[in-house]
Amino acid sequence: MNSERKRIITILVALCLGFVLLIGYLSYFQMFRAQAVRDNSYNKRLWINEDNILRGSIADRDGQVLVYSETRDGEAHRIYRYDNLYSHVIGYSLKDYGKSGLERKYNSYLVNANENTAINELINLINPSGVGNNLNLTIDHDLQKKTRELMSGKKGSAIAINPKTGEILSMVSVPDFNIGNLSENWNTVSENPDSPLLNRGTQGLYTPGSVFKILTAVGVIQNGLPEAIYECSGSTVIDGYTIRDFDESGHGPLNLEQAFAVSCNTYFADQAVAMGHDKLREIAENLSFNQKITFDLETSTSTFPKDSIGLTDLGASGIGQGRILVTPLNMLMIVSAVANDGYMPMPYIVESVVSPGGMRIDSHRSESRKVMENGEAQALKNMMREVVRSGTGTNAGISGVQVAGKTGTAENSSGKNHAWFVGFAPLDDPKVAVVVLLEEEGSSGGRSAAPIAREIISFALNSITN
Amino acid sequence: MNEGLINKAPRKLLFLFEILSLSLIFLYSWEGIQTETYVIAVGLVLLIYFSNYLLGRISKGDNYIFLIVCMLVSIGIIMIYRISPDLGLKQLMWLTFGIAMFFAAYFAVRYISFWGRLTPIYLLASYALFALTLIMGSRTHGAINWITISGVSVQPAEITKIVLVFLLAAFYGGDEKYRKIKNAEVYLMIVVYSFIGLLFLQRDLGTALIFFGVFTGLQYIYSQDRRLIWANLGLATVGGIAGYLIFDHVRVRVTTWLNPWPHINDKGYQITQSLFAISEGGFFGTGLGRGNPSFIPLSYNDFIFSAISEEMGIFTGIGIIMLFMLLVYRGFKIALSQENQFFRMVALGISMIFGIQSFIIIGGVLKVIPLTGLTLPFVSYGGTSVVTSFIALGILQGASEKRGRGGIGNE
Repeated sequence: MNSERKRIITILVALCLGFVLLIGYLSYFQMFRAQAVRDNSYNKRLWINEDNILRGSIADRDGQVLVYSETRDGEAHRIYRYDNLYSHVIGYSLKDYGKSGLERKYNSYLVNANENTAINELINLINPSGVGNNLNLTIDHDLQKKTRELMSGKKGSAIAINPKTGEILSMVSVPDFNIGNLSENWNTVSENPDSPLLNRGTQGLYTPGSVFKILTAVGVIQNGLPEAIYECSGSTVIDGYTIRDFDESGHGPLNLEQAFAVSCNTYFADQAVAMGHDKLREIAENLSFNQKITFDLETSTSTFPKDSIGLTDLGASGIGQGRILVTPLNMLMIVSAVANDGYMPMPYIVESVVSPGGMRIDSHRSESRKVMENGEAQALKNMMREVVRSGTGTNAGISGVQVAGKTGTAENSSGKNHAWFVGFAPLDDPKVAVVVLLEEEGSSGGRSAAPIAREIISFALNSITN
Repeated sequence: MNEGLINKAPRKLLFLFEILSLSLIFLYSWEGIQTETYVIAVGLVLLIYFSNYLLGRISKGDNYIFLIVCMLVSIGIIMIYRISPDLGLKQLMWLTFGIAMFFAAYFAVRYISFWGRLTPIYLLASYALFALTLIMGSRTHGAINWITISGVSVQPAEITKIVLVFLLAAFYGGDEKYRKIKNAEVYLMIVVYSFIGLLFLQRDLGTALIFFGVFTGLQYIYSQDRRLIWANLGLATVGGIAGYLIFDHVRVRVTTWLNPWPHINDKGYQITQSLFAISEGGFFGTGLGRGNPSFIPLSYNDFIFSAISEEMGIFTGIGIIMLFMLLVYRGFKIALSQENQFFRMVALGISMIFGIQSFIIIGGVLKVIPLTGLTLPFVSYGGTSVVTSFIALGILQGASEKRGRGGIGNE
């Protein structure tokens, strides 16, 4: 009898523990997990709230409206005024397929559902057909048009930025899609092997090739060796593996500036081996490799191998080959740091959030982070100027403007090289920095990417005054 | 004693809750108010008040369990009415019938004395009910567990659950002659496992789990041969793994339990919709009529807990869990003070059904355990569920009254 009572109580305790577990999990879920679950774009409740609210509009830096909503026959319609132009910046907002771009990141502002305070709820109760907040972007609509025009027919990305403030002036990723009829074409677009939905500028990861030499050069300068003379014979053997130059006849004797201008592979491969993996990795990580970049749009993280790598790999890393992958946005931030005397600006695209009544609800404040010494930045500036003046990047030259830059031609598994150009202008007071990446272009950065960069820079310098 | 006074205070609280939530329903549907709203309001209050009053007069047993259940039923019916007035009215009808069956079951237990001597009948009845399901059953929501008799759909497994409790109690605590058969306990285990196997075939995993739980619980308390308990647990583990490997529908449950988000559009749809609802509610809920519980499939049935959490908040959700905990506690207390072996076991078995079933479905919709389709007793919509739950409660009510140690009969 006694053991029976004990066993009965054991079962009772077990059942009660089960219930306590449920209560504990329910409380935990509500406190720590619920917010993330609610914000899932598949949650139809988000849409229910939105049906009562006219989504805010989005305008460029001069106040030109790019997208807005209006009520037609009692139903809210989102009007995208420029079909393909902002497919990756503004993105889509579709009931069936969710949201992307700023429509996603700034959803709560656009539908005014951000502050779920009791007062807001009361206001929504009284006046349920509210109007969302508006966004003002840093994008220059004309430059955006120009950039897309230059990139049309290509695959890749081009971004222009104010290197001092981090304002994104234009951002294009191609191939793109027409937001206006995306719903009808969803299957064609989403199954396209060229992934038009991907924002290559912020989420595409690419082998950098020679544009990475900017980072290797930082190491050479920090080690105090920019003037040391190196004998280039056209190839170098590292750990039994030969790294060749583009021009196999050899560049002869050169210092850092000369090697940078002609993009000498053997020089930078040997320098990378000399400085070691830790040093190169430290420089890369300081410049946002392996670090999440916070931005108004989704970003991928550039990678530099974390574990120690073999000498051959290290030599390849010095010239941006090997296992390094970078996003165009990240390269642009690095170039901006050079242009901005060693301070890397945090890029941003939403300048301010303004209520329908015209009140500023949120506005962006420029931020930057010191990533290199002023002296190092000045030296790199001059070297990059030399690339465009007399080296591989002459196609980016504009008469009357001192353009600085670096080309890259990255070998990759596709067999067709990526063509890169990163640069800024004018040299003494940089107003614009650009990155142009042509994916699997099969041509050199100097030949195909530099001319596009030149046009973007030239247009930006002429049209953007503030 | 002032028993009456003690009983009256919680009864008043129950009415307060009903009046408050019914006024919310009135507010919510002010514009389209219909006669059915009055019917449900007046009907619910009168039904609950009258049956509590009646029970206080006729039973000297534990009158709290009925009060607890009335609270659960009230929350449930108000939520069901809010989701679908039609179903709400039907549920009220089922509830009326269920309470009638509660009294019927109570009197049957009180005045009939041979319940403990019917082991073979329970055995045959169980198999007959299974056979009925397999022959006449139709498949709904993945499980074949419904049969339709002259227009009324019935879930035989709900009845078999109670029969199982009687079978186990009669075997362990009724007349001894079946226990004296050589290896009787092994045969019993084979019988129970055959039930569980049949439930697997019907894809009724939730009920299979209840059968296993109730059997294991009673076996743990009463089995003479302790090795059999280990054999049972070992067999369950092997069976569970085999079930996972053999049955696709079992694997789906596990996949969507571990991570439903990649399958949000198909097999993970139900559970993610449930989580959306619960997360929407927060601690205090969106308010009755102000959420969107109809986004959840079967929101009035298996997922009623999520619907309640959305509109009444997880505090109400926690309240429901605590009510079940109290119900189980009272049930076990009834068992401990019941001197008659058979009825003690019946009380334990029924309390375990309530406890295990509510744990499985609440845990399922919260994604604590894999989701298996079950009703939340007394709260979910459903005729069979309401009626059989009230029958079980009526039996528990009967078991709460003092009986002679060995003899079976009334006081």
